[in-house]
Amino acid sequence: MSTSKTYWKNIADLKSNPELDPNRHNEFVEHIPVDEFLGDKGTLENSQTSRRDFLKYVGFSTAAATLAACEGPVIKSIPYVVQPESIVPGIANYYATSIANGYDFASVLVKTREGRPILINNNKLDQSGVGANARVNASVLDLYDSQRLKAPQISGTPTSWVTFNSEIGQKLNDLTAQLKPIVLLTQTFASPSTTALVNEFLSKFPSAKHLTYDTISQSAALDAFEQRYGKRAMADYDFSKALLIVSIGADFLGDWQGGGFDGGYSKSRMPQNGMMSRHVQFESNMSLTGANADKRIPLKPAQQKQVLAALYAKLKGTSVQTNLSESVLSTVNQTAKSLQKSGSNAVVVTGLDDVDAQALVLEINTLLGSKAFNPNAPLLVRSGSNAAMTELVKEMNSGLIGAVIMAGVNPSYTLPNATEFNDALAKVDLTVSFSLKADETAANVKYLAAAPHYLESWGDVERKAGHFGLIQPAIRPLFDTLQFQDALLAWMGSAVTYYSYLKTYWTENVLNGSEWNQALHDGCFTNETTSTAQEQTLDLSNSVAALASAQDQGMALILYPKIGMGDGQQANNPWLQEFPDPLTRVTWDNYLTMAISDAKELGLFMETDGTDATGGLNGRYAEITVNGKTLKAPVIIQPGQAKGTVGLSFGYGRSAGVKEELQTGVNAYPLYDGFNATQTVTVKAVEGKHEFACVQLHNTLMGRGDIIKETTLEVFNTKSAKEWNAMTMVSLNHVETPVDSPDVDLWDEFDRSIGHHFNLSVDLNACTGCGACVIACHAENNVPVVGKEEIRRSRDMHWLRIDRYYSSEDTFGGDDERKDNISGLSDSLSVFGKMELPSENPQVAFQPIMCQHCNHAPCETVCPVAATSHSKQGQNHMAYNRCVGTRYCANNCPYKVRRFNWFLYNNNDQFDYHMNDDLGRMVINPDVTVRSRGVMEKCSMCIQMTQKTILDAKRDGRVVKTDEFQTACSSACNNGALVFGDINEKTNQIVAKKNDERAYYLLDHIGTKPNVMYQVKVRNTKEV
Amino acid sequence: MASHYEAPIRRPLVTGEKSYHDVTVDVARPVEGKANKQWWIVFSIALTAFMWGVGCIIYTIGTGVGVWGLNKTVGWAWDITNFVWWVGIGHAGTLISAVLLLFRQKWRMAINRSAEAMTIFSVIQAGLFPIIHMGRPWLAYWVLPIPNQFGSLWVNFNSPLLWDVFAISTYLSVSLVFWWTGLLPDFAMIRDRAVKPFQKKIYSLLSFGWSGRAKDWQRFEEVSLVLAGLATPLVLSVHTIVSFDFATSVIPGWHTTIFPPYFVAGAIFSGFAMVNTLLIIMRKVCNLEDYITVQHIELMNIVIMITGSIVGVAYITELFIAWYSGVEYEQYAFLNRATGPYAWAYWCMMSCNVFSPQFMWFKRLRTSIMFSFFISIIVNIGMWFERFVIIVTSLHRDYLPSSWTMFSPTFVDIGIFIGTIGFFFVLFLLYARTFPVIAQAEVKTILKSSGQRYKRLRESGESLVGAGSVDAVTADKAKKKSKK
Repeated sequence: MSTSKTYWKNIADLKSNPELDPNRHNEFVEHIPVDEFLGDKGTLENSQTSRRDFLKYVGFSTAAATLAACEGPVIKSIPYVVQPESIVPGIANYYATSIANGYDFASVLVKTREGRPILINNNKLDQSGVGANARVNASVLDLYDSQRLKAPQISGTPTSWVTFNSEIGQKLNDLTAQLKPIVLLTQTFASPSTTALVNEFLSKFPSAKHLTYDTISQSAALDAFEQRYGKRAMADYDFSKALLIVSIGADFLGDWQGGGFDGGYSKSRMPQNGMMSRHVQFESNMSLTGANADKRIPLKPAQQKQVLAALYAKLKGTSVQTNLSESVLSTVNQTAKSLQKSGSNAVVVTGLDDVDAQALVLEINTLLGSKAFNPNAPLLVRSGSNAAMTELVKEMNSGLIGAVIMAGVNPSYTLPNATEFNDALAKVDLTVSFSLKADETAANVKYLAAAPHYLESWGDVERKAGHFGLIQPAIRPLFDTLQFQDALLAWMGSAVTYYSYLKTYWTENVLNGSEWNQALHDGCFTNETTSTAQEQTLDLSNSVAALASAQDQGMALILYPKIGMGDGQQANNPWLQEFPDPLTRVTWDNYLTMAISDAKELGLFMETDGTDATGGLNGRYAEITVNGKTLKAPVIIQPGQAKGTVGLSFGYGRSAGVKEELQTGVNAYPLYDGFNATQTVTVKAVEGKHEFACVQLHNTLMGRGDIIKETTLEVFNTKSAKEWNAMTMVSLNHVETPVDSPDVDLWDEFDRSIGHHFNLSVDLNACTGCGACVIACHAENNVPVVGKEEIRRSRDMHWLRIDRYYSSEDTFGGDDERKDNISGLSDSLSVFGKMELPSENPQVAFQPIMCQHCNHAPCETVCPVAATSHSKQGQNHMAYNRCVGTRYCANNCPYKVRRFNWFLYNNNDQFDYHMNDDLGRMVINPDVTVRSRGVMEKCSMCIQMTQKTILDAKRDGRVVKTDEFQTACSSACNNGALVFGDINEKTNQIVAKKNDERAYYLLDHIGTKPNVMYQVKVRNTKEV
Repeated sequence: MASHYEAPIRRPLVTGEKSYHDVTVDVARPVEGKANKQWWIVFSIALTAFMWGVGCIIYTIGTGVGVWGLNKTVGWAWDITNFVWWVGIGHAGTLISAVLLLFRQKWRMAINRSAEAMTIFSVIQAGLFPIIHMGRPWLAYWVLPIPNQFGSLWVNFNSPLLWDVFAISTYLSVSLVFWWTGLLPDFAMIRDRAVKPFQKKIYSLLSFGWSGRAKDWQRFEEVSLVLAGLATPLVLSVHTIVSFDFATSVIPGWHTTIFPPYFVAGAIFSGFAMVNTLLIIMRKVCNLEDYITVQHIELMNIVIMITGSIVGVAYITELFIAWYSGVEYEQYAFLNRATGPYAWAYWCMMSCNVFSPQFMWFKRLRTSIMFSFFISIIVNIGMWFERFVIIVTSLHRDYLPSSWTMFSPTFVDIGIFIGTIGFFFVLFLLYARTFPVIAQAEVKTILKSSGQRYKRLRESGESLVGAGSVDAVTADKAKKKSKK
């Protein structure tokens, strides 16, 4: 092209102008007299800018430039380019979804703020009544786990899903062509759509098969049920319908058969119309269930089997030969009599990993016609088979298997023969694992698929036949993840997403004409068919004989899941690591639980309570051997542990996909031989001292019966409340005066009946000590995690704790009596010393303690800067930014509920938990201040929630609805133990609680007038 | 206070044939002379300890109070123990200078200057703790009722900790003014003797232009008396208020009405012990045996014995009331003190505070300088443990057994305590080298009535006129020599 184009800037440029041309390249047309100016000293001196001015300017510009270079911390907050319609900053959105991680199954309501899920609530629309336990409450933090896989990996190298899926799809086709078996090894999804999808997959790849694997096996219960009813499921139990509960080794308030039985249990435990259930527990470990029992008989596992056989025989009117002791036999006889009397109001359950025992229990419940027993709508939350799993490893080892595709399982950690499995896995052509983290199994597979968290996934679940739940994402996937179901579809060459597959499946098979959107909104859907399970009549005589002749060889080890850790998949969750075990109250650890007499015999007992000068609990180490496998574990003395047994929990000793600080405890899975929780074990003392992080160092109540008031059902029914819940009297001029009388009040009372006045009631009968509220409180209130060292130094930060006491005598009543009968100084010296030690098989009591929000708060008067003060609504406030940190308030708190920020717990590398990284901080509730170091904090009675409720009502122009006020703990409580509300609104449940005869105030003799009340614990001690 | 006649039976308060000039020289000597090696050694040790303490304080403020051994149950331990201990020690100074002034106890004149210096220095140590024990010490000024822009925020006048702020600051300021007033003529004396211009300048500044006119003396006497009147209630009030920190609480073992008198007695007890500790060393090091005599030490030992016994009665009363109250929490608190995990601390307190002063019933022991020194140290240890026992053993096991735990100090706790001891001695050693350690102007007023020389002259019927002059004393000494 021609380049003759000329460019001009103005007309003068275009039309040549002789006047302008010479100046064209001069920037300054007029002459600037630089040389003249600088050359002439005289003008320079007279000029306006003196040397000093010059220096000033230089100084200023240097300073300005320096300051401009200093950048404050930039916190990026990016506004929405397009504001989503449903997201209003500052307003929470709620989505109903379900958790189904293979271990925990629950219908939940997720609270999201600005698109971030921050809290798990119970889904109140779900009528099947399974609430979120502590682990489910904590599961929101797993979403923000910094250890999560961020993209799929092939042989450890990040890759794209396209490559990942096409490689696997290719391999699957090759393997199918070679007729090599493909194994889908998955968790129990209990998902109808996934089952359908897997079936499609199996038909597409005919050499494939599907295997489910439950890390903690319920195979015995499933087998027994399958034999009897022809369906691989587990019978459901509704304990609210039982008046007599007999449990033989079943920790049904824990994770027995998938858990979720505590809501019904608690209902039956609240005395109503003079009735409450009676609970008899035969067990080895002190379980949460045993701790709540009215009568607890510690027995070795073989003896439990014999008890079951004897019980059955007694019910049948036959006899069976056992070698149980006289006292146990008489208890068994008594129990059998009570069972017969109670008939359909009774229920028997067992947790023994023994098909015979499970079959017998099904028979007994059928025999009783138990109302609590429901085989018609059985539980589907476990489906694994021990035999199939054992077989698989064998096949893999022989090199027969072409592909193992795993989802939601971590066999390299959880299998007892994990090393064998790992070796066998090396012989498989195609190994795939879907996992949230680079866990133990991830290291042994070639294809590592980054799986989404359940809050980022679609799905469905049928926890119980006919009871469905939907899983919907509450946030866009944070990382480049793909869920298992979507991958299956991709491999099958299907173009549909799992979401549309799911929707179609539901419309066609589940919804029965109902609206999908409604089901999605509710998160649950019930389509119960009232079919009665077809029953097989089985001959149980062999079972009875086998059980009756069961023998223990030496010491028995009972493996169990801890309330806070379950099967260990949430081990990288700092909330759960710091969650105190309801019984031992130890955090950050698992341990061998042992009876004191055994410990003394084996040289495992530590003198002086096993504590050191800081009060921290210490323990000795034991080496335990099961079938040639040896483990070194610390020993803790567990009152109530059956002699000749030890307990060890699963879920600890993780080594991969878990931050170093959170790699705590020892792995018990290698001892889980044959998927049997009961093992024969030899225990040997070894050198060393273990340092525990225990939040409660004193175990007994010291005869202080006014802290946990309790009575028996008999007394409760027959005597007036004055006898079992007497008003506290104080002396006024030597006249006994009730402590709530204005005459003994130091202050003038003002009218509290106007406006809202919040009270919280804690029912000691309904509370099982499960700790869901503890985690809910943690999540709602941004309570920091402080780590093992700080916990050991008694610096736990829990705003809500559940105190656990053991009786020193056989019962707490015995303690009180013993203390009251002390006479003289020397007697008191020796008796108080003895009362510090729990009994070998103690009564147990749980007491949730949070700030009592005293109307006359001792903390408020002593703060020099008035940082803590009382509200008109009964809440005791804490103004964090006013607090100077004298800790006087904590010292003067009789309940010791105040927690001090000894260090900066957030954003501090010394405390490298979730608050130390940007991802983990996404869980923080923006409505609650994150406390800095040096300030006191404590339960606020969720003031951000009560204020929200008030504002909602105000915005809507209505009055606050009945029972609309909630706190995090009260809404997390599945058991009805925590009831919160406004006492000035007479229709609220809390008013009834306040007026209940069982209501009492903790330490009211101090005159603190708390706004938290407790309901007297009633024990049903009388045989039916 | 002119020279009154004093009965010959009274032992002289100033021994060793002192003339007025001798007094001047003796008092000015440490200020004008050079520090010896021992002073430097002791000073270096104290300075090192102080620096260590400063390091620990910086570490605490930089990292968090978590570096101490405290926990959720025991929110105060060494911090407030040290605070109360140092405040308690301070009490002796005020008692000696104010109360004994009002009671015309002339023996105080030899010791009041140092006792009051000790008061001020120990109150400075005490004042440190309430500040550094805070979680956010940089906001310590919030405890002062100063007008602010935080909204309508004001301090909480219900809080005993706030009363503490007032009590301690009042105490420190009154003590300081009282002390300085007494120092004026003595500073002026040093000023007048000073030869170096710099020294002269400094001491003329310190002496506030004291001219020695009769009007100066008259005002001096008046102010002293007024300040003594003001300071006397403080002796009782300061520790009463400190005891309110505990007495007004609801914690068994703290909630005790006996605390105010019990604390005041304990404070005087520990204060006198500390005076003994310091002065027994000082009289030796500064050659002041003629002014701080065995008689002084004996008198202080008697005070220690009496207050120690009062404290003992208080301990027993506490136990009795715990039993008599019938309150189980109260009973257990005291049972736990005496027999629980901190029983060793309780019995350490008991033996140091109640049993050890009983030796002072024996004249031989209370006039023994070594023994007095030993007991004074024991009493100080005991009184530290008293506060530790009250604070830690009450807190570590209170109402709910679930919260019961133990306390164990960290190196920082210990470091800060040692640091304050170091700081105290740094101040005291500097004081001993730069201040007139004996109120020489006051001592001179009693030289005629209680000085050994004048007593002797008066007894022998000789004239006292001009007896105090340098010439007379020199002549006297020469006469004595020739007699020999």
